[in-house]
Amino acid sequence: MGRYVARRLLWVGLLLFLVSLLTFVIFYVLPSADPAQLRAGRRASPEQVEAIRQRMGLDDPMLVQFWNYLKGIFAHGDFGYSYVNEQPVRELILARIPATISVAIGASILWLFFGVLVGVISAVRRRTKLDRAAMGAALLGISAPEYWVGLVALYLFADDIGLIPLFGSAGSYVPLSQDPLAWFNSLILPWSVLAISFAAFYSRLLRGNLIEVMGEDYIRTARAKGLGEKRVVMRHGMRAALTPIVTVFGMDLGLMLGGAVLIEVVFNIPGIGRQAYDAILRADLPMIQGTVLISAFFIIVANLVVDIVYAFLDPRVRYD
Amino acid sequence: MVAATQDLSGKKGGTLKMLWSSDVDYIDPGAAYYQLSYMVDYATQRPLYSWAPDEETTPTPDLADGQPEVSNGGATITVKIRQGINFSPPVNRAVTSADVKYAIERGFSPNVANGYAGAYLGTIKGAEELQFGKAKDISGITTPDQQTIVFNLKQPDGLPKGVTGYATTAVIGALALPLSAPVPPEYAKPFDAKNPSTYGVHQVATGPYMIKNDAEGNTVGYKPTQSLELVRNPNWKASTDYRKAYVDAIQIDQGNDNPSIAAPQILQGQNLIGGDVGPPSALLQQLLKKKSPQLVMAPSGGIRYIALNTTFKPLNDLNVRKAVLAAFDRELLRKVNGGKAIGDIATHFIPPGIPGFDQAGGLDGTGVDFLKNPAGDMSVAASYMKKAGFPSGKYTGSEVLTIVGTSGGRAQKTAEITQNQLQKLGFKTKLQLVTQDSMYTQFCNVPKSQPAVCPNVGWLKDFNDAQTILVPTFNGDNIVPVNNSNWPQLDVQSINEAMGKAQVETSSSSAGDQWAQIDRQITDQAPAIPWVWDNTQNIQSENVKGVINKFNSSWDLSFTSIK
Repeated sequence: MGRYVARRLLWVGLLLFLVSLLTFVIFYVLPSADPAQLRAGRRASPEQVEAIRQRMGLDDPMLVQFWNYLKGIFAHGDFGYSYVNEQPVRELILARIPATISVAIGASILWLFFGVLVGVISAVRRRTKLDRAAMGAALLGISAPEYWVGLVALYLFADDIGLIPLFGSAGSYVPLSQDPLAWFNSLILPWSVLAISFAAFYSRLLRGNLIEVMGEDYIRTARAKGLGEKRVVMRHGMRAALTPIVTVFGMDLGLMLGGAVLIEVVFNIPGIGRQAYDAILRADLPMIQGTVLISAFFIIVANLVVDIVYAFLDPRVRYD
Repeated sequence: MVAATQDLSGKKGGTLKMLWSSDVDYIDPGAAYYQLSYMVDYATQRPLYSWAPDEETTPTPDLADGQPEVSNGGATITVKIRQGINFSPPVNRAVTSADVKYAIERGFSPNVANGYAGAYLGTIKGAEELQFGKAKDISGITTPDQQTIVFNLKQPDGLPKGVTGYATTAVIGALALPLSAPVPPEYAKPFDAKNPSTYGVHQVATGPYMIKNDAEGNTVGYKPTQSLELVRNPNWKASTDYRKAYVDAIQIDQGNDNPSIAAPQILQGQNLIGGDVGPPSALLQQLLKKKSPQLVMAPSGGIRYIALNTTFKPLNDLNVRKAVLAAFDRELLRKVNGGKAIGDIATHFIPPGIPGFDQAGGLDGTGVDFLKNPAGDMSVAASYMKKAGFPSGKYTGSEVLTIVGTSGGRAQKTAEITQNQLQKLGFKTKLQLVTQDSMYTQFCNVPKSQPAVCPNVGWLKDFNDAQTILVPTFNGDNIVPVNNSNWPQLDVQSINEAMGKAQVETSSSSAGDQWAQIDRQITDQAPAIPWVWDNTQNIQSENVKGVINKFNSSWDLSFTSIK
């Protein structure tokens, strides 16, 4: 297992390098806008634009720019400087991570809980009215665009513009360290909206897996040994049915930790997703690169963790 | 619309909250160039001159103790500075003329890179030398004593033959922009030495408010793209200022991108005003219908137009351009973009309220037949197409007109309607939609890659002078390979010369007449389809008594109060 983890960690490094290279190519070699002109302002002369281009290092050869960037990250943990925000990218990203973690962790607890609960009930009571209603609702949850559900939730339940004012509205996010109660209240709607589609998908996935597993020979054996149905389902059925859920959960959580862009935009939560969105709109290349790398890091690490957990969950999977 | 004379009284106290979609362009007053930044800068900084809420013609002395004295035929401008104005903590000391000199000089440094310093203050002697590293300060700015600053000008480059004079009006106009707000050199120099300057996040204030800071001067109240917190400047003395500064604090929350959420939050909430957040179309119509005092519209001092590349075949033919303008249904464009409320249909290029507008024909226009009918006139269009050599009255050539527009929202609709209107005249078109930044910096601002049509461009005044609208956008001498804003690439010698002459005109009434004449000449050239002199839509909560700053076309934070 140790060698496997070490090998995977090397892969993490390589993947991050490839991601940074890809982002660099997309945003520096094939830029969507000229950052020097944007920084210079509309009345600046070409000479001023050129001076700014030099100052930003954009006139250096591409390889030099990329090397400087990599050197900054690996030698100094320096993600570059945001000329739009006039602050180091690392500081700006670090300031946004708590909000993104708040959104991701809270929502993932919700979707995991409801996804598994509904999935198990539907599988155990398959073809009943309850199963059909749950799966119908799940289909609706998967189909409804997150952005739209977010807006509807605000119009219904936001404490300033909602018909039934219950929960914190868009822009009401406060850090956990500042006011835990207000933090919780501000995140109820984003968590719920984000969890809907994931929980729906998880419940359908788990239901399918569990139904399949419950038809396996070893489940019949367990029943033949006289184990109770609850024990058969929870101890033997779930263990196998959950492995794909763990895989997907790891990926999803990694993705969310990299920023739930739509939710952060709809609810105006100052997280990494929102930051990436703003950076793209303002052609803030160092910030785009920083947020992409952070997102990639979370996804890759989440995958690594998933692979390791997989080995423990499923005795058939061994890496050594 | 905003009243001609607003009630400037108010109640003291309270915290005003403001919702913004975006952030300031630059937090450093020396680099700031757009409306949101100005809103903050005019509340936190005291430039030599600034604009009182209802003032539309002459800026009000702010740090200055009176109007500028012009001598030597416009070559020298002398400004006296008010006494008793101190910097906010941690600097605390009294402001002197040397602080204004330093503030202007730092604008020329690439570490600050002010966007308008070169354009308006570049004729101060020694400014160019500083800008290109040949001098350490601007020799043409002198400070004979702590309360006096003198600007010595050189003649602008490229004046027409036989014309002499100085760009006095431009320099005086720019003294009412945030760049002339004092900066203490002994405090700011270490920050300005960095690349880029970090003075913005350590700035000190002279206005009634300051960005909340700590003992070292770090602006802890500014979180980029998140929030901005203004608190009272303890060193501000009301007796030295025309500002009222009613509210105790101003909390600005950014990232409110969705007007369908943010506008109701403001309208149904308390203590709230919108920055760049206006009502969506349906809500705007409701507010207009019930004549709600929660909506106050103000002319932006700008114009939106569709630029036609005059170097691109067949748009290089004046008659073809006139035909395009004649056929274009500008009424439809306005309707799709929100109707009458968004502004008057433009008939020429100087916006309302700017000297020269009335002389150029006011709302009715200059009288050219190809802009007479806002809904378009196909018969007039056909007559010009025939003059251009297309007997059918429609374009029958093989050229494809590339249109590069901004994707999403109203801008995209404008681009699509442009395409449709061009097709109506027989043109083959290719529409490319990109982000706004890309549209400008990769296409429309770069002549060598400029498309035939840029449908989403426009220009805002820098101050109340037509030169700030017409010179960057229609003077052929200003066509540059990068960051070009003469999008039609119009280069007509008589217009360029007339602009050169008008720029050194010191009599304001004569200047207004000259700019009006230039506006007529430009309009005759049909380089662009002027379609709206737009309004800004400012909204407020019921318990807010908002005051509009007409210069900035937005709420004046120093006069707005809580009821």
